[in-house]
Amino acid sequence: MDGLLTKLARPAPATTPFVEVRFSKLLDQPIVVKGQLEYHEDGALVRAVNVPFRERTEIRGESVNVERVGHSPRRFSLKRAPELRSMLGGFSAVLGGGRANLEQDFNLTLNGEESHWRLALTPKSASVGKYVRDIVIEGHQSDPRCIVVTQPDQQASVMLVGKAADASLPTPLARDWLDHFCDTAGI
Amino acid sequence: MTRGGRAALLIAWVGVIALLSFYIQQELKISGDLRLFMPSPKTRIEKLLLEEVGESPASRLLLISLDGAEPEKLADSSQELAAALRADPQFGLVSNGAASLDAIPEKLLPYRYLLSSTLDHNRLDQTFLHNQLSERIEDLSSPAAAVLDPLIPRDPTLEVLKLAEEWQPAKQPQRLYDVWFDSTGDSAILVVATKAAAFDPDGQEKASIALRKHFEETRVDPKIKLTVSGPGAFSVLMKGRTQSEATWLGSIATAVMILLLLVAYRSPTVVVLSTLPIASAGVVGLAAVSAVFGDIHGITLAFGFTLIGVAQDYPMHLFSHQHPGKTPLDTARAVWPTLATGVVSTCIAYLAFLRSGVIGLAQLACFTIAGLAVAGLTTRYLLPPLMPHKARDYGQSAGLGQLWNAIAALPRPRWLGIAVGIACIAILALGKTPMWQNDLGQLTPIPKPLLETDAKLRQELGAADIRRLIVVDGASANEVITAVEALSPKLDALVRKRDIESYDHVARYLPSAAAQSRRQSALPQRDELQASLSKALAGLPFKAGLFEPFMEDVAKAKSLPPLTADALAGTPLELRVGGMLLHHADRWSGLVTFGGVHNPAALETLAADSGGTLTLLDLKQASEDLVARQRVHILWSLAIAAVLLTLTVFVALGRSVSRMGRVIAPMAITTLLILAALHGAGVSLNLFHLIGLVLAAGLGVDYALFFEGVEDDPLEQRRTLHAVLVCSLSTLMVFVLLSFSTLPVLRAIGITVSLGVISNFVLALLLTRPAPGADAHAGA
Repeated sequence: MDGLLTKLARPAPATTPFVEVRFSKLLDQPIVVKGQLEYHEDGALVRAVNVPFRERTEIRGESVNVERVGHSPRRFSLKRAPELRSMLGGFSAVLGGGRANLEQDFNLTLNGEESHWRLALTPKSASVGKYVRDIVIEGHQSDPRCIVVTQPDQQASVMLVGKAADASLPTPLARDWLDHFCDTAGI
Repeated sequence: MTRGGRAALLIAWVGVIALLSFYIQQELKISGDLRLFMPSPKTRIEKLLLEEVGESPASRLLLISLDGAEPEKLADSSQELAAALRADPQFGLVSNGAASLDAIPEKLLPYRYLLSSTLDHNRLDQTFLHNQLSERIEDLSSPAAAVLDPLIPRDPTLEVLKLAEEWQPAKQPQRLYDVWFDSTGDSAILVVATKAAAFDPDGQEKASIALRKHFEETRVDPKIKLTVSGPGAFSVLMKGRTQSEATWLGSIATAVMILLLLVAYRSPTVVVLSTLPIASAGVVGLAAVSAVFGDIHGITLAFGFTLIGVAQDYPMHLFSHQHPGKTPLDTARAVWPTLATGVVSTCIAYLAFLRSGVIGLAQLACFTIAGLAVAGLTTRYLLPPLMPHKARDYGQSAGLGQLWNAIAALPRPRWLGIAVGIACIAILALGKTPMWQNDLGQLTPIPKPLLETDAKLRQELGAADIRRLIVVDGASANEVITAVEALSPKLDALVRKRDIESYDHVARYLPSAAAQSRRQSALPQRDELQASLSKALAGLPFKAGLFEPFMEDVAKAKSLPPLTADALAGTPLELRVGGMLLHHADRWSGLVTFGGVHNPAALETLAADSGGTLTLLDLKQASEDLVARQRVHILWSLAIAAVLLTLTVFVALGRSVSRMGRVIAPMAITTLLILAALHGAGVSLNLFHLIGLVLAAGLGVDYALFFEGVEDDPLEQRRTLHAVLVCSLSTLMVFVLLSFSTLPVLRAIGITVSLGVISNFVLALLLTRPAPGADAHAGA
C-alpha cells in the first residue's frame, strides 16, 4: 500500500478534470456536473464546477467557501460537510501521499493489482459514518480513475477523474454503466 | 442560689437555646432573593424594573467562553457543550453560533410560511418555485447535499433555514469551525439562558453546578478552561464569597474575642458564661424573624449577627463591675438602669429600619431588636445567679488606677466638641464627593477583572445592552406584538444611522396576527400550487410526487389559525418569546432590547414622539431613583428614631438636659465625624454605611451612659473603665477585621463602625465624664 500511495503522490499544484455523477433518491436521473479539481501547495483543494452551472468550492484548512453565480458566497466549516471532509481527506492524502493522514480518519483496504487497484476508505468516526458509508478509489498504475462515495442509504456519487473524465457518457446514465466503466477504465 | 439550683438554671437555659436552635433549623427558610433588599416599588416603571425585568431575558443570560486549546478543539467542545445544555431542562436558549435546523418544533412546521418574511416579497408561483427548485438541484450536486437532502421534499424553498438565519442575533461574533469565537479567535463563546431568574441565587447555583458538570463531561481536551459571566453567575459568586468571607472573618473574630476575654477576665468560666446572652440573642432573633416573616434573607443572617455583636458588651459590664463584698445580683441591679437605657435606645434606633419599606432591612431590625432585648434581659436576670461569687476586683488594678488618673487630668474641652462638629459640617458642605452612592451596582462584590471580562464578552456577542429597554403596553398579546412590529421601520432607521447597533423584539419570532394572515392570504390554494409546481418542475429531474409533503404543509398553513404565544408552550420558542412579551394581570408588555446604544438621545426622541405608547426604560436611572427615594424615607425614619432616642436618654437620666447633652454629644459628634471622614476620603454613602452609623451610635450611647453614670468612688471608676475598655476593644477588633473584607458591603460596615468606636470612646472620655465632685447620679 505504501508503494501505491507513494506512486500516487504528485507535486502540488496538481490539477485534474473531473466529471461527477450524483445519484439521489429524490431524482429520476443523476445530476452530472463537470469541472476541475485543483490541489494547491498549501493543502487547499478547489472543486470548480463549470457545467451545467458555475460553482467554486474552496476548502482551505477547516473552512469551506462555496461561491455560486448570483448568490452571496456561503462559508461553512468542514465539520458540517463530513462528505466533503472525506473527499478532501481522500484526495489530499492520495495526492499528497500520506498514509498516516489517511489512517487518521479511515480504515484502509487495498486489493487488486497494479494494473487495476481498488483502495477502500471506511470512515472511523461515527459522525462521518452517518453521511458516508465508504469511499472507493479505483485506478490504474499511478492514476486514480474513479472515486465513488457511497452514503449509508446507498445513494452515491461517482467521480471520474484524470483521463476517465474525458469519457463520453451515455444517456440515460445508469449506475451499472459507471461501475463497469470504472472496472475496465484504462485497461 | 444553691449549687443544684444553679446547675438546673444553667441546664434549663442551655436547653431552651438548644430547643430554639432546633425549631429554627426546622422552620427557618433562608432566602436568596436579592429583591428582599431592594426598596418596594411605587411607580409602574419601578414595578416593571423589579418584578419583571429582574426576570428579563438579558438578565438570565450566561456568557460562556472556552479557551486554552486549539480553536478546532474549542469548537468541538462548544458543540458538545451546547448539545448537553440543550438536553438539560435547567437551560432554555443555548446559542453557540451553529445554525440549528430544529429551531421550529415538528408540530409547528407548517407555520413556517406565516413566520418567515418570504411571502412578504414573493408568491409561491411558477417563477419563484422554478428558481428555488433549480437551486435545490445545484444544492443536491454540491457538498452540502447530505445535509439538505432530507429537507427538500417537505421544504423545497428551505424556509426552515431562512427562519434559523433570521432568528440569529442581529450582530454576531465571528465564526470559526461553525461556532462563535471572539475577535482574536482564542476563545469559543456561547450564550445560554437559565430557566432560573438572575435574582435567584439558589436556582443559579444549581444551574452553575450543572453547567460545570456538562463542561467537564464534554470537553474534548483537559486543557480547555471555562469562564462563565453574566448576572446569574455573579449572584452565585457573590453568595459564595459572602459566605466564605463571613465564615473566616467570623472565625478569626471569635478567636480574637475569646483571647481578649481570657486576658481581661482571666477566667474560662466568665468566657463561657458571657456567650450565653449573645447565643440567646441569636436564637431568639432568628425565631422572631421566622415567626414574623416566614423566611430570612442570607444577608440579614450575616449582618444580623454582626449587629447583635453589641450584646457581647452587656455581660462584660456585669463582670467588670463585680467585686468582693457585692453579690452578682446586686451588681446586676446597680448596672441595670444604665444597661437598660443603652438597650432601649439602641433598639429605638433600629426601629427606623423596621419602617423602611425594605423587607430585608425590616428583618434585620426585627432580628436585632428581639436579640438585643433578650441579651439585655438575660444579662440582668439569668446571668447573675450563675456567676461565681469570688471575683477579681478590677477596681484594685493599679494600672487602671493610673490610667484613670491620667484621664482625670485631661481637660474637658467642650469647645473641642463644637469645633469638631463645625469642621465636620464644613467638610461635608464643601466636599466634592457625591454624598450618596445611588448605583446599586457599586455594592457588588464582583472583582473588577471579572466585570471587565463580562464587558468584553458582551461586546463580542453584541449581547443586549442591559441598561435601556423600550416597553410597549397593550391589552392583549397581539395588540403589543402589532405595536412592536410597527416600530421595526423606525428602529431600522436608527440602525442605519448607527444610533444603535441592533435591536430585538418579540415580533421577530412571532409576527402579529395581521402579518400572519397577510402571508396566509398570499399562499396559493392547493390546485393553484399544484399547477404552478408542475410547470416549475418542467425540465428538472425531480421524481414525480416528491413534493407531496410540501403541498400538504402549504394547505395546512393556508387554514391554520394564527400562531399565538400560548401555542408556543413547551417549545424552544417559548423562552425567546416569553422573555420579550410579559404578562401581568390584565396587561401585556413587549420589550424591545438593544445591542450597542451609541446615541441614547435618539431612543429618547423615539419614545417622546410616540405619544405615550412607548416607554423608554433606563434601568440605571430607574434603580437610582428608587434607591434615592428609599433613602429619603429611611433618613426620615432615622431622624424620628434620633428624637425618640434622645427622649429616652432624657427620661432615663432624670430629665436633666445637661446630663442628656453629655451623653448624646459624643454620639452626635461621632456621627458627623464618620460622615466627614468618609466624605473627605471620597467615599459616597450607601445603605450599609447607614446601618453602620446606627450601630456606632448605639455603641456611643452605651459608652457615654456608663461614663456618665460613674460614681465618685475611684474603685467604681476603674471598674467602669475596665468594662468600657474591654467592650470597645473587642468591638473595635471585630470591625477592623470586617473593614479588611473584599466585599464592599462588609467593608462599609467595618470602616464605619471602627471609626465610630474610636471616636465614641475618646469623646465619651473627654465630654461625658462628669467633673469631679459633680452630682453624677442624681435621680439615677
